[in-house]
Amino acid sequence: MKVSLFITCLSDAIYPRVGEAMVRLLAKYGVTLQFPTVQTCCGQPAFNSGYWKEARETASTIIAAFEDADFVISPSGSCTFMIHHYPKLFEDDPVMLEKALKLQAKAYEFTQFLVQVLGVTDVGAHFPHKVTYHPSCHGSRLLGVKEEPLVLMEQVKGLEFVPLPFANDCCGFGGTFSVKMSDISGAMVNEKSEHVLETEAEVLVGLDMACLMNIAGNLRYRDKPVRVMHLAELLYEGVKGA
Amino acid sequence: MAKTDEHQAWLAELEAKSRAKQVGFINGISGKLRRPRSAEPPAHPFRGAPEFWNEFEWPIDERVEKFRANFKAAGGHSERLATMEDARAFIASKAEEMSAKYVIRQNQPELNALGLEEAIPDASFSVWNSDAEEHWKARAAEADFGIVVADYAAAYTGSVTVLSSKDKGRSVSLLPTVLMVIIPIERLHTRLGQILVNFDQAGRENLPAGIHFISGPSRSADIENDLTIGVHGPGVVYTLIVG
Amino acid sequence: MSVTGTQAGGATVKERAGLALNNDFLRKAVKFTTERLRNGKINAAEDHGNWDEWRERGRQIRLHTIAHLDYYLNLFADNARANGVNVHFADTAAEAVQISLDIAKRAEAKTVVKSKSMVTEELHLNHALEGIGVEAIETDLGEYIIQLAGETPSHIIIPAIHKNRYQIAELLSADAGETLAPDTQVLAGFVRRKLREKFLEADIGMTGCNFAIAETGSMVLFENEGNARMVTTVPKTQITLMGMERIIPSWSDLEVMATLLPRSATGQKLTVYMSGITGPRREVDADGPEEMHIIIVDNGRSLQLGDPEFQELLNCIRCGACLNACPVYRHIGGHAYGGTYSGPIGAVLTPALKKNVAEWDDIANASSLCGACYEACPVKIPLHEMLIYLRRRKLEAGRGDKMEALGMKGFAAVMSNAKRYGAVLKIGQLGQKLVVRDGGIRLKIGPLKGWNTYRVTPSLPKESFRQQWKTMEEEIRHGLQDMDPAMKDRMEQIVKDRAAGKGGHGHHG
Repeated sequence: MKVSLFITCLSDAIYPRVGEAMVRLLAKYGVTLQFPTVQTCCGQPAFNSGYWKEARETASTIIAAFEDADFVISPSGSCTFMIHHYPKLFEDDPVMLEKALKLQAKAYEFTQFLVQVLGVTDVGAHFPHKVTYHPSCHGSRLLGVKEEPLVLMEQVKGLEFVPLPFANDCCGFGGTFSVKMSDISGAMVNEKSEHVLETEAEVLVGLDMACLMNIAGNLRYRDKPVRVMHLAELLYEGVKGA
Repeated sequence: MAKTDEHQAWLAELEAKSRAKQVGFINGISGKLRRPRSAEPPAHPFRGAPEFWNEFEWPIDERVEKFRANFKAAGGHSERLATMEDARAFIASKAEEMSAKYVIRQNQPELNALGLEEAIPDASFSVWNSDAEEHWKARAAEADFGIVVADYAAAYTGSVTVLSSKDKGRSVSLLPTVLMVIIPIERLHTRLGQILVNFDQAGRENLPAGIHFISGPSRSADIENDLTIGVHGPGVVYTLIVG
Repeated sequence: MSVTGTQAGGATVKERAGLALNNDFLRKAVKFTTERLRNGKINAAEDHGNWDEWRERGRQIRLHTIAHLDYYLNLFADNARANGVNVHFADTAAEAVQISLDIAKRAEAKTVVKSKSMVTEELHLNHALEGIGVEAIETDLGEYIIQLAGETPSHIIIPAIHKNRYQIAELLSADAGETLAPDTQVLAGFVRRKLREKFLEADIGMTGCNFAIAETGSMVLFENEGNARMVTTVPKTQITLMGMERIIPSWSDLEVMATLLPRSATGQKLTVYMSGITGPRREVDADGPEEMHIIIVDNGRSLQLGDPEFQELLNCIRCGACLNACPVYRHIGGHAYGGTYSGPIGAVLTPALKKNVAEWDDIANASSLCGACYEACPVKIPLHEMLIYLRRRKLEAGRGDKMEALGMKGFAAVMSNAKRYGAVLKIGQLGQKLVVRDGGIRLKIGPLKGWNTYRVTPSLPKESFRQQWKTMEEEIRHGLQDMDPAMKDRMEQIVKDRAAGKGGHGHHG
């Protein structure tokens, strides 16, 4: 079984600790992640802005990078879902379309893989903190990852879970949206942070570093000491501490 | 009221234009859909509610209970009464309580037999369309009470259905301040679909001009999302399930 | 009305949004109401149960009807005519307006009472009627209020969502010629009395149309106040304007729409009134219109037919659920969208109806693509995807931003090649030293200005994941565990099923 890590450009460049947590956590289960270094970005910024020619170029790189993998796992629901857009991108190219469909069928978000494929719900972690969770839009709404993170957190010893008010509301990131419509995006992330602060949680956890970078950046701007982390990091830290 | 010949001629001219335009308009749609136009009805595999829903039915007592709960939740009033005599007494007591002076009712056999006029002697009664010369919309508009017998009712949504006819004015359930609806219990169904299917079965030629579902008093939430009852239609609505 | 509302307060959605974002009252009012409606919808859907099955059924009925719109619309027109209705077809807004004006002139109308209709908003019909000296009175409470204010609706369902009771009391007091208390009951009571007279004296009643039933030629209206019943019962002449796509085949199909529409719009099990009107009054009837006209309006709708990316737009049942679910709408309100229709549906529908994608593009950009609209939609229209198609079409039309295009070209050049990507990453790691303070970037210049007005940008760590990989890989190879056989079996089974075309996982739908 060849399981490949699709790190995503954001985690690669800014949050390598998320990739490390995934790699070391999965190693515990005998899953040796492969890391094809030819991989780059899923192409979502170009795709969402309408630059499909450019998106096809990066998508081709990703398709080639994971052609021989049995499973492809990524720390982002949004980048995973971008792969679900590949067939649409290549609808007029039968050869690439077939490859795109193949990749789509084997692409998993990290918690999806852990729970649905490996059947793991208790990683044996201990994490004695008050935690709230922001379900990112693309992962939860479009990819359908809703229960998996909750199931995993439920099994973490010492973890006190506080539901986030209006959890399903978008944090306002939206890729280029946060730059093009910065004031609307700013109003949205302000609201999201206020909800996070309402919970009085020490830790905000999520499954998408883009959204978490957005919220963390806003919390830091307000000098609020909420720790923001990917669920993979939380689980790995909890396993180390257990 | 007879329309003038000139007006009729104008309408006929419009109709001729419309029929001519229809051909191009519809052909244009077929063209955009990129296929030839077909005169045959297409197979419609998804007609009506999902299959599981069509089997759903409450026993009569539950139907009554749910209807009343829904109707009250919408801001209306609802009672279950054993007989039509009880309904008469109930309406009479409400008329007295609210000092109803003008009452209008449909010209329905159940109401004709009810003797409401005797039970509410102080009120001036009008029976819909019982006199061709009368200005009936004005009679309904001035009425304190409008009284109708429902043609159907649906428990799941808490709705009554009233159909228009020569003897059943649309205004009677609309213009008075208070609306009283008598629902003979055998007309109370569970789902909307059980009522709607009748209109499909009846077919175009047999439908009345107005089919109205009423699910409570007139309301609005247009000002600060604050619920206001009685905006244009009756603000007080009683449904009396009889039987 | 002096203001058509389309470009009020700013030329771009960004400017208009800026005004809305700085209007604290507006934001709170819109947020408060949309939140209530959104929760109402969620509760109603849960209470009803099997919501996704109902949505799917609704979608299928709409898909089927639109796919055979030529058949069903023709059937509807024939049946309506057989019912005694004067049916008209209008390709454009101007044609629909002309037909309406002709009817009003023939009826020697002084007053038209209207119930809520988005189509007539689209046509700016009130304005046209006033132009020939006919008073057009909106009778829906919210519409009446914004008509007094000289504004346009900022929400499909709650047109005056942006006004508070004090502003409304001021408007209605001026109308009444006396001071009315800012009390909902008092204000609504005044409108009831005032409009009662108008209903009784009006020459024409004008309505929109929620659904038109092809098999019987009936038109169906959903409402709560009773004003739509008034305008279809009292005046001598009724004019109904309907979008050509409002069709459903049968009354049985209406059960599905009646299940989806009120729950999605306001959380109600059914609106207080649902009326099916089949032709003018019968000869023997003592009320109802003597003459009835239905004007079937295209005005850009047919542009979506046969367009695989946008045909589903015609499935929309105008419930407003996407507005209530949309985080952008909740912050900026309806007027910021600059068209008749606002929120996610407006962002897609406005350019689609006008076929001027390029001009309207900045609306398509006013979305974080979060998909809340799609999730809320009772007929599952993928609005979040349509927004992307709009953005793409603008570029295809050669109307893109040159700097952005250059940037995206650069993006593709870097991101399609891991070597170039790695090199750029290294430049970033070195270059950022100039601007990083305490592990973050707070500079508000250039492209970082908007972002850093609300956030601190994280710095790049010393080593990227790919730079750490070699060491990490060696470490895990050393301490490797055996995989649990059961786990291994599961994985093998999944791969086998996949090859056999079975299974698949986690898709939106």
